[in-house]
Formats: sequence, structure tokens, C-alpha cells
Amino acid sequence: MSGKRIRLLIWKEFTQLKRDPMLVRLLLLMPVIQLVMFGYVVAADIRHLSTAVVDLDHSVASRALTDQFASSGYFTINARPTSEDDLRPLLDRGQIQVAVVIPAGTQDHLDRGETAQIGIIVDGSDSQVSAVGSGYASQIISRYNRQVMTDAGVSVAAPGVDAQIRVMFNPTLDPINTMIPGLIAAIMMISLMAIMSQAVVKERESGTLEQMFVTPIRASEYLIGKLTPYAGLATLQMLIVAAVGILWFRVPFNGQLGVVLVGLALFMLTCIGLGLLVSLVSHTRQQAQQAMMFIMLPTMVLSGFIFPIASMPPLIQPLTNLIPLTFALEVLRGAFVKGSGFAALAPQLLILAGFAAVIFTASIIATRRRIAE
Amino acid sequence: MSEHPFPEPSPQFPEHSPQFPEPVEGPEASTSSANLPQFPEPSPQFPEPVEGPAIKVTGLTKTFGTFAAVDGIDFEVPRGQIFGFLGPNGSGKTTTIRMLTGTLRPKSGLAEVLGTDVVRHPERVQRRIGYMSQKFSLFEDMTVDENLKFYAGVYDLPAEKFAQQRDYVLRMADLVGREDELTRNLSVGWRQRLALGAATIHEPELLFLDEPTSGVDPVARRQFWDLLYELAGRGVTLFVTTHYMDEAAHCNQLAFIYRGRIIAEGSPTELRTKYMDQRIFDITVSSADLALDYLVSTEGVDEAYLSGASLHAATAAHSPLSADDLRQRLIGAGFADAVVLEVEPTIEDVFVNLVSRQR
Repeated sequence: MSGKRIRLLIWKEFTQLKRDPMLVRLLLLMPVIQLVMFGYVVAADIRHLSTAVVDLDHSVASRALTDQFASSGYFTINARPTSEDDLRPLLDRGQIQVAVVIPAGTQDHLDRGETAQIGIIVDGSDSQVSAVGSGYASQIISRYNRQVMTDAGVSVAAPGVDAQIRVMFNPTLDPINTMIPGLIAAIMMISLMAIMSQAVVKERESGTLEQMFVTPIRASEYLIGKLTPYAGLATLQMLIVAAVGILWFRVPFNGQLGVVLVGLALFMLTCIGLGLLVSLVSHTRQQAQQAMMFIMLPTMVLSGFIFPIASMPPLIQPLTNLIPLTFALEVLRGAFVKGSGFAALAPQLLILAGFAAVIFTASIIATRRRIAE
Repeated sequence: MSEHPFPEPSPQFPEHSPQFPEPVEGPEASTSSANLPQFPEPSPQFPEPVEGPAIKVTGLTKTFGTFAAVDGIDFEVPRGQIFGFLGPNGSGKTTTIRMLTGTLRPKSGLAEVLGTDVVRHPERVQRRIGYMSQKFSLFEDMTVDENLKFYAGVYDLPAEKFAQQRDYVLRMADLVGREDELTRNLSVGWRQRLALGAATIHEPELLFLDEPTSGVDPVARRQFWDLLYELAGRGVTLFVTTHYMDEAAHCNQLAFIYRGRIIAEGSPTELRTKYMDQRIFDITVSSADLALDYLVSTEGVDEAYLSGASLHAATAAHSPLSADDLRQRLIGAGFADAVVLEVEPTIEDVFVNLVSRQR
């Protein structure tokens, strides 16, 4: 191996990158855009659900209940139809996501000490909204019940379970705190895989790959010369994400830098390997693009990057173990949010090391063989 | 430019061997630099030939699955020659080149390139050979200068040597003053010559050219062959594949490869005489398509095919058919303007003949 030739290949790669300033700009802008998307849009907590209240009772009780909903912050009352029949069109048009129906006679039932029936209608077409909406609604109603009972002089200290929920590690439940570490890993994966496989395939398309292997350039020199600039770019992207995340979104970093670096390095080898494998099965850049999508979609869905693994069907959950990003996320989130160290994250780090060893080695061997053909 | 700028032979190359005389330069060649700026005096010394053939191949075989792309070929390429490796697409030309340049491992057989076993020691050979593919393999998003700098660096040329070579290539490719242009903006002829310059920047003893003229216009092709002659004149061995049969006549030696096997080899003249057992008639007619259909089904005509702007009909060597007989038949069939001439077989005729015999 010749250091001189490797430097030459790196120079070549940077010269080519320089000719594509758009690509470089996109690469540096992409993490910022994704941060804004995930930071403000996707992961935003569900609040201000558009709500309709059908008050058929017009009583003190019904007004008190309506106020409870309005003041909770989770529901915004946008419509007050006079009959239940008017709800359907509102739901159909998407103007409301939740409806509360207070039937006539509610006050009378309560006054007689009976249980009153309240209707909560939730738009089930968005499962997240319906789950969160019905959850909040029942909380509000139980709080109202407690108040009614207290007012009626009934002892609230009756036997029963009262859950006191304490959220550890992320007390504000701010989703950005788990999103940023995840984004660091996801961006690294996208950049390294996409850009690198494109670069290799482009070289094969234009015949320069073939040309270079008739010269004294060895396959290992070519690979190092190719990987170094892109690994550098990926690192720069990660630094941008980390900086924006910590400085702008105020994501706390509670962990050890060493854990993060080891996890990322192992994951980087895996991504490079995947990128090379994509470039091997692709003859054109379009094919490489398709192959990328083929890998990225299950990765994004199954890794826990967007949807929590715990809420996936039990049959699907074992599949998440096949996705390297799953473990990179566990390491990064563990280190960022919980401050977990090497001991706690050893299983994940070992699995990442396994992925890196298998995928990276396989890709290098396959590339060397393929380059020869 | 009348004086040879770099007269001393480089020390790392052996002395000129006597059987390969100085490049023969005709009257127009000696003044070429004055008339044609794109063909300057050969400034840098290319390696001098040494003993033994440039390429020696024995029983070379490559299979992809069950398909034998190259099926036990033998041939030898003497030093300082232009060796034409001809064959239709998919006949095994590129596979052979890849094995000879050390990028593809043969299944079996021996390949000695410049006296070295290229299968075992590709790295020893790769420094001394050059390769140019039909794609002209330049980095299109890099400038002329950057491309040259890259390839010079790959071969570890000293700065001084690179300066000489760069100068030479720029003049040869007619790119002086366009050093900072991106190669993607160059038109085909220029790209082709620059690719040749990049492939020979390290002064290889042996240059492989895989269909170097495909997609290039006839004028640029002509100019390119002039450059190849010039390289050959300096003792560089050229191994050229092509499916342009007219280019075959430019070579000293030819080998025909068909379905992975060499079916004929020799000089162009040898091939035309030794392998040819047919007479060839050249037919010019206005409705060539219809006439071709007629000829294919004509008694006594073995083969009929388009050749350039006219048709060629091949008959057995002992066939009693004369040019006039053929013309009468064509006129009788309604091709009143047919002109028939018996001609010397071209390389293409030989090839068609050889291929039809294989079938």
C-alpha cells in the first residue's frame, strides 16, 4: 500500500466534490433541515386537538366538564353543534378530531347520585391521535369525578390505586431529546450509504474504475481513498447535528463521549459496508438509488427511529434485531439521555461490533473480487 | 520543434535492440509537427524493446458459469507491433484484455506479458503497460490538467518527467491552452486523444486499446490511427481490439476471435490469401435491400452482405459464376442498374467467410 497513492486518490475525490458544490451544500444542509423537521414537526407532542362539544344538558355540570376540557391544553373546542347528528360531517371533513357528547339529564343523574354517561368520539383514522385523545379525555373525566365526589362530601380516600407517574431521564418528555441522538445515527447512515454508493457506481459507469485497476492502484488503496473523504463529510454532518441539537434545541448530553464515539465508529463501518454492497449490486446510479430505498425504508420503520419498538406487534419485534440502526439508536439514546456507560451498553456495542465485522469485511472482500471483474 | 527536446534514452530502459530499427519516418512524418500541431515530435522516450515477445498466451481460458467467454486461446505478440484482435461483440475480446492487464483471473492457461506471468504478478506488469478503453475513462468532472496530474501521480512520475509528459500530451491532444477545461466539455476526438495521453503518460512498453475508436467520427479515427502509428514507431507494442474491419488493415498482425476461440491469425495479407477460399463480387445497386434478399437466395452465391455502401456476394473459389453472369441475373430479376465487379477480398470478407465456416 502506498500512502502517496492514497493521498492522490483523496485529492481526486475532493477535487470532484469541489466540482459539485450543490452536493456539498445539500450534504451540509440536509442535517439542519432534518433537525427542523424532526425537532418541530414529526415528533411534536399531541396538543390542541380540535374538539367539538355537543352539550345537550345545558347545566352547571355540563359547563364545568366543558371547561375542564378547554383548560387542559390538549383540546381546543372549535365547534359546539346542537345535535349529535352534526358531528359526522365535522369528523368527515377533518375539522374536528375529538367530540364530547353530554346528553340531556346528566345533571339530574348526578344530582340523584347516579352515574352519568358521557360520550367521547375519537377519529380513529389517525391511531396516534385517537390513542392520545381518548387517554387524555378519560384523565379529564376522572379528575372531574374526583372533584364531584369531593364536593358531595364523599371521601376520596376510599381504597384504590392512585398511580403517581414519574418520568425518569427525560422529565420534560421532550421528544427532541431522543430524536437528536437518533438523527445523528440516521444521517450518518444516509450520507455514507447513499453518497458513497453513488460515487462508486458513477466511477464504474464512466469506466474510470476499470481504468484505475489497470494501473498500480490496489483495491485497498482505492477503498481507503474513497472512504476517507466521505467518512470526513459524514463526521462533519454529525457535528452539525450535535451542535444544533445541543445548542439550539438544548438537548442535554448526560453521557460519556467515549461511548458515543465507539458506537458511531462501529456503526460507520457498518454503513460503509452497506454502501459498498449497494454499489456492488447496482450497475447504474438509479439502481443504487432504488437499492438504497430498499434498505432505508425498513431501517427507518423498524429501528425505533420513528416508531417505538415496544409498540410494534410481537411478531415484528424480533425483526428489529436485524437492523443495525436499532442498536446504534440504543447506544446513542442511552448515552445522551440516560448517561449509560460502557458497562450498561455492552450488549448493544457488541452487537454493533458484530454487524461491523461481518458487513464491512464481507463488503471489502466482495468489492475486491468484483472490482477484478 | 525541429530539435528533439529530450535526446538521452532513459537509463531504466535497456538499449535499443538491433532488430527494431529507428522509427521509419516518411517525408510527411518528418514534417508532421510543422503541419499538424496535434502530432508533435515524439518528445519523451518510450521504452525500447527487449528480447522475447510482448505477449505470450497459452491455453488461456475464462468461464463465467458454464459459458466459456475465452476458450483455450494461444497467441503471441512480437514487440513493437500493432496487433489487431478482431471479433464481433461478445466474442471474448474484452475478457482477454482484462486477463492480460491483470484485472481478471483466468480459469486456466498461461499469460506472459512483457516476460512476466501477469496472473501471478499483475503488479509487476501494471507499471509497464497502458490501457485505454472505449469509454476513454477520464474523470469528467476534473480538468485536463487534473486528469494528467492524477495519472502521473498514480505512476509516481517525478515532477520533471511529468512536466515533459504533460507538455507532450497537451500538444499531441491539441489541448494547449485548454488545460483548465473540464474533460466533460471536450468533444469526442479531443477526449479520445487525451485519454490516449493519460494512458501513456508513464511511457508504457505495451499499450492495450479496447475498441478505442468506437463512436468516433472517421476523421478523428484517421488522426487517432496516425498517433498509434507514431507510438508503434517508437517501439511501443500495441494490442488493439476493434470491430471496424477497415481498421484491421492498419495492423501488422491480426487474430480473429469468435465465440471465445481464435479462428485465424496472421498478417492482413496472409489472412486474405491463406484463409480465403471464396471469390468476392462487389455489387452497386440502387435498391440494395431488395437486391440483398435476391442474392441470398441465388444459386451459386454462398454469402451476401452489406459492405459499406455496396453489397458483397461471395461464391466458391471454383465457381463458374462470373461478374457478368451475376449482373445478368440481377438485371433479369429487375435490378436494371446493378454494377458488378469482382474484387480482392477485404479483411471483412475474410471474416465473414471464416465465421460462416464456423457455423
